[in-house]
Amino acid sequence: MLDKKSYTLYKFHKQLNQSFQNKRDLLECALPVLRNLFKLDRIYFFDWQQERALLSLKMMCKKEYCMDMQEDISVISEPAFLKQLLQSGVAETTDLSYPAIYALVKWQRPSMELKNGEVHTFMQEKVGVLRLERFRANRTFTAQEKELIKALGQEISHNLRNTEIDQSKNLRLHVSTALNDLSTIFASSLRLNDGLELILKGVKKYFRFDRVRLYLTDPYGQAVKSVLGVDVSGEITEQKGTAISAHEQELTREVFDAGATYRSKGSVIYIPLKVQRNKVGFLAFDNILSRRQIGYLDFISLQQFASQMALAIDNARLFERVQELSNYDELTKLPVRRYFNEKFEEELYRSRRFNLTLSLMIMDIDWFKQINDNYGHQIGDWALQEVSKVIRTSLRQTDVPCRFGGDEMVLMFPRTTSDEAKIIARRLKERINNIILPTRYTEGKEVHLSISQGIASFPLDASNAEQLLEKADQALYVVKQNGRGTFASFREVADQVG
Amino acid sequence: MIVWAMPDAGDKTKENYASFISLFKQENPNIDIHVRVFTRNVLWRRMFTIKNPTYKEEVPDVVQIPHYWTALLVRQGVAENLSAMDPGLSLASCLPALKQHCYQPNTKEIYSYPWWFDVSALHYRADHLKEVTQNPEKDLATWSGLLKICKALCEKFKDVPGYYPMQNSDWRGSISMRNALPCVWGMGVDLLSRDLKNTEVGTRAFKEGLRDYIDLALKNYMPILRERGSLGTMASGKASLMISRKQGLRTFDARRGHQVRTVPVPMTGDTSAAYLSGMNLFINTLSQHKKEALDFIKFCARPDVQIKYASMIDTFPAFEEPFHTLLTSSTKRLHAYENIIATARTLPNITITGTIMEILKRILAVCAAQVVEGRFTQASLDRELDAASKEIENLLSIYEG
Repeated sequence: MLDKKSYTLYKFHKQLNQSFQNKRDLLECALPVLRNLFKLDRIYFFDWQQERALLSLKMMCKKEYCMDMQEDISVISEPAFLKQLLQSGVAETTDLSYPAIYALVKWQRPSMELKNGEVHTFMQEKVGVLRLERFRANRTFTAQEKELIKALGQEISHNLRNTEIDQSKNLRLHVSTALNDLSTIFASSLRLNDGLELILKGVKKYFRFDRVRLYLTDPYGQAVKSVLGVDVSGEITEQKGTAISAHEQELTREVFDAGATYRSKGSVIYIPLKVQRNKVGFLAFDNILSRRQIGYLDFISLQQFASQMALAIDNARLFERVQELSNYDELTKLPVRRYFNEKFEEELYRSRRFNLTLSLMIMDIDWFKQINDNYGHQIGDWALQEVSKVIRTSLRQTDVPCRFGGDEMVLMFPRTTSDEAKIIARRLKERINNIILPTRYTEGKEVHLSISQGIASFPLDASNAEQLLEKADQALYVVKQNGRGTFASFREVADQVG
Repeated sequence: MIVWAMPDAGDKTKENYASFISLFKQENPNIDIHVRVFTRNVLWRRMFTIKNPTYKEEVPDVVQIPHYWTALLVRQGVAENLSAMDPGLSLASCLPALKQHCYQPNTKEIYSYPWWFDVSALHYRADHLKEVTQNPEKDLATWSGLLKICKALCEKFKDVPGYYPMQNSDWRGSISMRNALPCVWGMGVDLLSRDLKNTEVGTRAFKEGLRDYIDLALKNYMPILRERGSLGTMASGKASLMISRKQGLRTFDARRGHQVRTVPVPMTGDTSAAYLSGMNLFINTLSQHKKEALDFIKFCARPDVQIKYASMIDTFPAFEEPFHTLLTSSTKRLHAYENIIATARTLPNITITGTIMEILKRILAVCAAQVVEGRFTQASLDRELDAASKEIENLLSIYEG
């Protein structure tokens, strides 16, 4: 047959025999039971900071409810009380004028720590303290009651351990689900930039950081530039691609040398994005506004995720580079004919569909063959590079130039009439006329470059791509016949076309 | 509907809320309302997770906040635009000092609504002070005067075990930044410069102002990190003075059976300024009961309810009419507040104010531990404040640039 103490313990055990989400929920269940059992006026739970001999009040329970509370009590000047509490597990207070006792509650919780850049997991001992008060009836605690309180404290300890283990498991599950979701989002994004935006927003949302920022290295792995950021509102902020400051350069070295770096008392972490030795960039997560510490679990999980992300970014960049190489002429850095033709067809379709105008220009460098023959192919190539540089810097973002072959270039101007195209032609003519061949190759003579340009417009001059090119070419032919170095639209010279 | 609130009445908070909510329920029997009480610390952390709750987490409909958090919550997209919800909602009758903290900064869009406010003052037991001074109001006008009074009180009550001249009104039993602010303001400086572009936390005047308040603990005139409620309380006769909000008197039963008088917080320098703390309510953007939430906020702002609740928790109504009604219909002590309120200042409503207070709170917690352990030095305080200054400048560049 059970004695009274065993039966009380059994009942208490049954009452706590459920799954609690966290320590707070467990205490909200346990403290009222103790209050009723010992006819207490109030019961408190403190966290015990052993190194500072500080009791930090977390919860108070009285009458019908529990409430979060805050108060720090230093017991550093009370060695006798401390000794008694730590040795026997129960101690009476010296400060209060009514009966109150403190009971120690010890439990273990899963923890992690960072040592030399590596994370170690271990079970950490945690200590809490219960304070039981009877101030109304002024009834002191008997020796049997103290023994029972100690035993019940152990039961709470046992449950706290289980709750903390469950909580840790749930947290890990939450993190791995989050990372799985993020990986799926990333994998299903067609464009790298879209993917990065979604990832940054996702990381901010799941891990609840104040800010997340992404920095990427340039294609040569040298300068690090900010690329994207998600701020406290959860919105994407463009980071304008600014290079990081000199002070942060040092940080970059530190980040790339270490696995990851904690800063500002654990409220900022930097995680490098690396593929083998290739530095792709780094991620910065911070809680400097909320002042919350970033936990080791988040840290490790993000570190693992960063390696997947680095690989994906590296692959995407490689793909972009290959595309760039196949679409652009290496000498002039202008799109090649195949790429141009695709764009030309798309734009022509759009113009037809929405009744828009489109102009096309064909141009070549005057006397290009003679330049090659007289000064060598090296100078010919130089002339092509200088002319294409002017073209690249003189056009609008929507215009598409291309190297059609040899010194012949074609330029497409969407939503542009032939008169508007002539304004661009004049600009190009003037700027290219300012290019002078290097005098060391021309025996000191000042040789200026010039170009001839022919323009045709859709739908005025032609209704399909082939005809438009032909009309622009015919206009160019007339310009050449008339002495070169200028431009004309097909309409202006139609009567001179044979 | 779920309301997240703070412990407005110490350990009597839940009883207070229960009777307040019953008033609301009488008029709105169909609205189910639950109040959850969190400490300011917990609420601060939750403001950063409230936007992305996990499936296990509760989503509040209305939340009580210190009024200077408004800008942050707007920035986070956590607070509902009340002007958009009800274009007729107005702050016309709200006390002028509280209006700016309801708006999204630089706009007239209301995102939080005022509930009540309080100001800090020095309360003293007339019977105790009579023992050491003929003219307490004059002697307590300056900080040096206060320290002299404390010294004299220590001598007078040296035989009373556990006596401290000053009761500590800080909830954590630590050194309170809010209580220390008038000391800092008295030196002519503030957390931030007037244009809010720089911090003054690292200045000599700021350090001296803060040190003046810490002196109360250093000279053993005020208990810190000790058992609050048993040591140094005015009610038990083990303290004679207390710097606190008006609400503090009720929370600590300080007036019980004694004549307590109220004067402005003594001046550390040339400026007298009381700390005004406002409490506002906002509606969570994720709330599924926004209409009911708005009804609750309007109920709280009604003049008769304003007076009732302010009386319940011993604070001031946030609107002109109930405020003046309360002030003119009450005791002599309340009249003392007219002058105190006239000099009251508060914290700016910008994104980073809450963070600055967290930084300073941490510094003062470190100081408190050092004082108790006998390790406190001015140099360590200066170092901490210099580092904080850099941190705040960084925050300004990120969030207020």
